[in-house]
Amino acid sequence: MSLTPEIIALLTLDAIFLFLGLIALFASGRIALWWDNQKSTPLQYTLSKQSYLVSTIIKYIFMLKLPLFLFFIYTCDKLSSIIAGAMCASGVVNSVDFGLYLTLFKLLNLYLFGFWLLLHYTDINNEKLPYTRLKFALFVLFSLPLFAEIGLEIAFFVGLNISKIVSCCGTLFSATSSSYISLFFVVDELLWVGGFYGFFALSIVAFRLKNTPVMIFANSMFLIFSIISLIVFFSPYVYELPTHRCPFCLLQKEYYYVGYLLYTLLFAGTFYGIGGGALALLSKKAQPSFMKASICLNMLYLAIISSYPLIYYVKNGVWL
Amino acid sequence: MFFKPNFSLLDYAIRSLMRRFGKSFFIFLILSLLIFLLSSVLMIADAIKLELNTTLKTLPQITLQRFIAGKQSDIPVERVDSLLDIEGISAVTPRVWGYYYFKPAGVNFSIVGIDAYEEQYSPTLTLITQNFDMKLLSTQESMIVGEGVQKILAENYYTDFFNFVTSEGKWKRVHIAGVFHSDLALESNDLIILPKKLAYAIFGMDESRATDIVVKVANAKEIPTIVQKITTRYPDIRAITQDDIRVSYQNIFDYKSGFFLALFSVCAFAFFIIIYDKTSGLSSEEKKEIGILKAVGWSSDDILKEKFYESFILSLGAFLVGIAFSLFFVYGLQAPLLRNLFMGYSALKPSFMLPFSLDSSMLVLLFLLSVPIYIAATLIPAWKASTLDADEVMR
Repeated sequence: MSLTPEIIALLTLDAIFLFLGLIALFASGRIALWWDNQKSTPLQYTLSKQSYLVSTIIKYIFMLKLPLFLFFIYTCDKLSSIIAGAMCASGVVNSVDFGLYLTLFKLLNLYLFGFWLLLHYTDINNEKLPYTRLKFALFVLFSLPLFAEIGLEIAFFVGLNISKIVSCCGTLFSATSSSYISLFFVVDELLWVGGFYGFFALSIVAFRLKNTPVMIFANSMFLIFSIISLIVFFSPYVYELPTHRCPFCLLQKEYYYVGYLLYTLLFAGTFYGIGGGALALLSKKAQPSFMKASICLNMLYLAIISSYPLIYYVKNGVWL
Repeated sequence: MFFKPNFSLLDYAIRSLMRRFGKSFFIFLILSLLIFLLSSVLMIADAIKLELNTTLKTLPQITLQRFIAGKQSDIPVERVDSLLDIEGISAVTPRVWGYYYFKPAGVNFSIVGIDAYEEQYSPTLTLITQNFDMKLLSTQESMIVGEGVQKILAENYYTDFFNFVTSEGKWKRVHIAGVFHSDLALESNDLIILPKKLAYAIFGMDESRATDIVVKVANAKEIPTIVQKITTRYPDIRAITQDDIRVSYQNIFDYKSGFFLALFSVCAFAFFIIIYDKTSGLSSEEKKEIGILKAVGWSSDDILKEKFYESFILSLGAFLVGIAFSLFFVYGLQAPLLRNLFMGYSALKPSFMLPFSLDSSMLVLLFLLSVPIYIAATLIPAWKASTLDADEVMR
């Protein structure tokens, strides 16, 4: 375990999240069980007061989790300079067995909390508060990955051994490694890239047809295929190096921090697509503004990431 | 879409803070002080790290030390020739150096023996050999000392010579031929430079041995391979590379500032209990205010938002003030008192300027350690206040 200032900051905030999250969990469990908008009992009165507390806590956690996700990656990047073998965040993340799951949980929580807030805003803007019970039941469910993430993060920093030699991204993200990431390379890269463009096209079709389930499906697949095709196909063009396929190195200074822009666009775009779609299904009301935002952000991502191979081809006349 | 800034609410929040000036100001002051202390410590650590990293570049790429039974001992000089056989090594210099304890002042001088004809391993030494006549130094048995050494010696009435006590107990009288000034104060303040022969005599060392050996490598990327080759050839040798030193510096400074940060967390926790207590105990006037707001149609959500604005303004203000003061304290005043935390108190520790370094990640770190934590402390009291009933408090 190494206590750098960054790690202490992350752990302190984790402790706060844990404390506030437990309060929110307790309160939302009560609300989910006994909420009844028709009643005017003292219990109902207390519950409606507590609902403000829970939503404030969730807003607080979510607003901090957004920058903290980037800060976590940054911390790992910084730690890579003192861990032998690590050259960027991926080496540090993978130096502990569950590091990858931690990152995935962090991402999942952003989506879940974001969706919860979407639902919350729809709920409080409706006089009848139709989703109150549902949203608090959902929070009880969503708090599980939140607590899992906090637990994993604490275990991650405790288990971080700075004298252990780890693999760098060059070996992690290559066809020769034995990890499951190498499985992506078994399949022809054209399939991944084809899927990437295909699912984007499908989401446009779904938007035109106003078909929400297809929209959700297309966006989820688009997210998965984007990340895989980024590793398998696009990243070598960003680095201009045929063997370098790390999704974390994009965040470094040498590449003008382009990763922060790309990931923000991709995650925000697919979030509006999936979350907005789920909201439309729940409220049985189309959410065209979310869909438009989703299409725009995804298109921007697609344009930027596609420009890398194109510009490379125009400059050099060959594909990598 | 989640937080549309509401300027009327912001205005209301600022006025509300001003109305309770005494209470807000107290919190503001303590919070700024905490942030000031924290950011000063982190900034000093960062600045010293930067200075050390600059010095690091002038250190030898590989230093070879010999260990016998876990204790460092001298290396036979004849190994130099056999090391030169290894491909990729461009220069090998045996060094004679050590510490000389000067009891009257209770300090250690670093003594380095150099030869007029060999290539120097550090730019500072090269500069010194260019400025002083080393041949004269060895014929006249004299030395060149750093500024700090000269000061200490002068305080003990040695103004133009110094009597070393050798390991056999004899006196060795050495003239002070000159004093050097260097930009890299950390490196050279406590330094004494002697001809090699004199250094051997003072330490009582065998002239066929060296304290350690410094290796220069043509291609820095080959360092790990060369280290491996050397240690296979001589298993009793430990090789220390520049990178090893950099990592240990980083660890030490992270540890020191982390340790302070842990103390800070305790202080902050105590402070937040006070905040929690202060903000949850509302005065009757504040209660009346909330009652009136509710009566004129504010919802609990609006009051929560207003309270959020209040704590955000307060903590952000304290953050900015704290940072501004610590910038002035660390780089303007050169951090009196606090820098000793990192430097130690040794009498010969040099005085040097803390180089200015402030990056955005440091600001983000400080922000995360102050503003969100303060807001978390006020979250529950604010909620309690916002859910007060209008009729109850108005009564």
